[in-house]
Amino acid sequence: MSKKEISRRTFLNYALMGTGGFLAAGMITPMVRMAIDPILKPKASGSEVAVGSVDDFGPEPKKVDFKINVVDGWHKAESTNVAWVRKLEDGSILALSPICKHLGCTVNFNDPSGKPNEYFCPCHEGRYAINGEVILNTPPTASLDMYKVTVKEGKVFLGEKEKNPRGGVKG
Amino acid sequence: MAKIDKDATFVGDSRISAKRIPNVSPSYSEYPGKNEAFWPDFLLKEWMVAAVCLVGFLVLTVSHDPPLTARANPNDSSFTPYPDWYFLFLYQLLKYPWVAGKYVLLGILGVPGVAFTAMILAPWLDAGKERRAFRRPIATGLMFIALFCIFFLTWEADHHHTAQLAAKGPAAAAPAPADPNFKADGMWAAQTSCISCHGGNMEGGPAAPNLQKVGTNQKPEDIQKIITEGKGGMPPGMFKGSDEDLKKLVDYLASLK
Amino acid sequence: MMQKMYDWVDERLNITPMWRDLADHEVPEHVNPAHHFSAFVYCFGGLTFFITVIQILSGMFLSMYYVPDIMNAYESVKYLQTEVAFGVIVRGMHHWGASLVIVMMFLHTLRVFFTGSYKKPRELNWVVGMLIFFVMLGLGFTGYLLPWDQTAYFATVVGVQIAESVPIIGPYLKYLLTGGDIFGALTLARFFAIHVFFLPAALLGLLAAHFIMIRVQGVSGPL
Repeated sequence: MSKKEISRRTFLNYALMGTGGFLAAGMITPMVRMAIDPILKPKASGSEVAVGSVDDFGPEPKKVDFKINVVDGWHKAESTNVAWVRKLEDGSILALSPICKHLGCTVNFNDPSGKPNEYFCPCHEGRYAINGEVILNTPPTASLDMYKVTVKEGKVFLGEKEKNPRGGVKG
Repeated sequence: MAKIDKDATFVGDSRISAKRIPNVSPSYSEYPGKNEAFWPDFLLKEWMVAAVCLVGFLVLTVSHDPPLTARANPNDSSFTPYPDWYFLFLYQLLKYPWVAGKYVLLGILGVPGVAFTAMILAPWLDAGKERRAFRRPIATGLMFIALFCIFFLTWEADHHHTAQLAAKGPAAAAPAPADPNFKADGMWAAQTSCISCHGGNMEGGPAAPNLQKVGTNQKPEDIQKIITEGKGGMPPGMFKGSDEDLKKLVDYLASLK
Repeated sequence: MMQKMYDWVDERLNITPMWRDLADHEVPEHVNPAHHFSAFVYCFGGLTFFITVIQILSGMFLSMYYVPDIMNAYESVKYLQTEVAFGVIVRGMHHWGASLVIVMMFLHTLRVFFTGSYKKPRELNWVVGMLIFFVMLGLGFTGYLLPWDQTAYFATVVGVQIAESVPIIGPYLKYLLTGGDIFGALTLARFFAIHVFFLPAALLGLLAAHFIMIRVQGVSGPL
């Protein structure tokens, strides 16, 4: 026997706490696991979609819409994604996602409210240069995401979004 | 265990005392000064105030229909987001360069966080006994500054938003709501490829605009150009008929005002 | 007849003490707008509660027609607003009431602040009041999405994005709110659940605590 005996009342209190803890955990655990499932689900990988031939694109960014298959819970739908595609000086293709890196609004090229030859976000006046480089001292902290571009037989395929390695520029 | 009066009697085997307390209101003379009983004296006054407010509220709801814009279209890149008015000050705050960019944390957590924490902790930050507002100038002053900022930011946000809508032009400012009573011409019913996106009565859909009043802001030649060359998510060459039919369709669309 | 029914219940449950305590408690002169017109500032709390009651009732009735699914949410709101008799009024009550409840709560908070009523011994009630304020803002935020129209959708995208930019927990917070990679069916269902079950449950608990504390402590004295 240990030196410090616990009284009957303390023991019963501990037992009560243990039982209460078990009751609470037994009820809540399945519910919480269900609620946090989206965090733990593995991300689905996307496929590549053709958006046109290489010759369709020039130095001026062109807005293309392309259909992707989206699984949204119990809805399986075709959704339209938007990319601004331009041919770089070295002939490679750059496809930018128009989702502003600040708060997720949609940016527009040559917007009437913005400056010429720039992407402009109407929400908080974020600006990006022609290759998606964020213009310093505007709200966004990163450059516009790009789609993974593959060129097969003269056709441009867009894949998943990836980070734009270009840093910010002075505007 | 609570002590029990041995002589007390109970209702049956319950713990309810058999002795009934009389259910009578105290006389008004028992209330000192102009104090009132809650029921019915004061509650009547509260309900009269509530009645006045309810009338005003009902007049508001009858005279102003709740807004309902077009169905959500995640691909619409021209839509300018606008939060409900009571979040505008937070939304506007994030526009300023000193709380955006690399200082965005300051804007999202710093400024609002400090303000809200200060509100919750107000009883401990302003712990003096003095209750009158003008005798505790620091608390009152800070509150007035906060109020000024909230009003100013809300006004600024609304101002910016109005200016942006004006820059975009009237078409973007007020997307035409679909008219459920609109009946499309028989010619439209034949254009199955158009209907699949723009709807049987031109009401538009998740990926295509409402065409019920397309003639208001598009000239016939523009309409023809869109039909043949496509626009936005609309691919070119959707119209399969003869040039003559195309002309008829364009004229019909241009007449919709 | 009523008297007999009352006596019958009272004999079994001894309700008279509770009822007399509620009915006879003194309301002091300085909060009574009948004596001092300026005392109308003390009405804002009661009016907040009154509009909250309207919100709960109109919300219950709206849910008879509303369907929280991206394919049908907008259609069901449009239907109840255009086809159902008085639907536009009930939705209007819920829509405008949401704004009004924020206004009233704001005024009530300012009254409590400027009369110094949050000071000892009422600190806890102030904290509960602030929590009610946040729950109300949460109700406003989640309810705004439910009609699934353009303003709702894009305002909520921005709101969730703001939550996402909080460091460390931000991305998890975003997934908890949206329920998936994209902003769609799972998001709407979640917002519906939060708006209709989780936050109202929290609100009712906090309101009960708020009112019990007022009854226990009484209204703060005159300045």
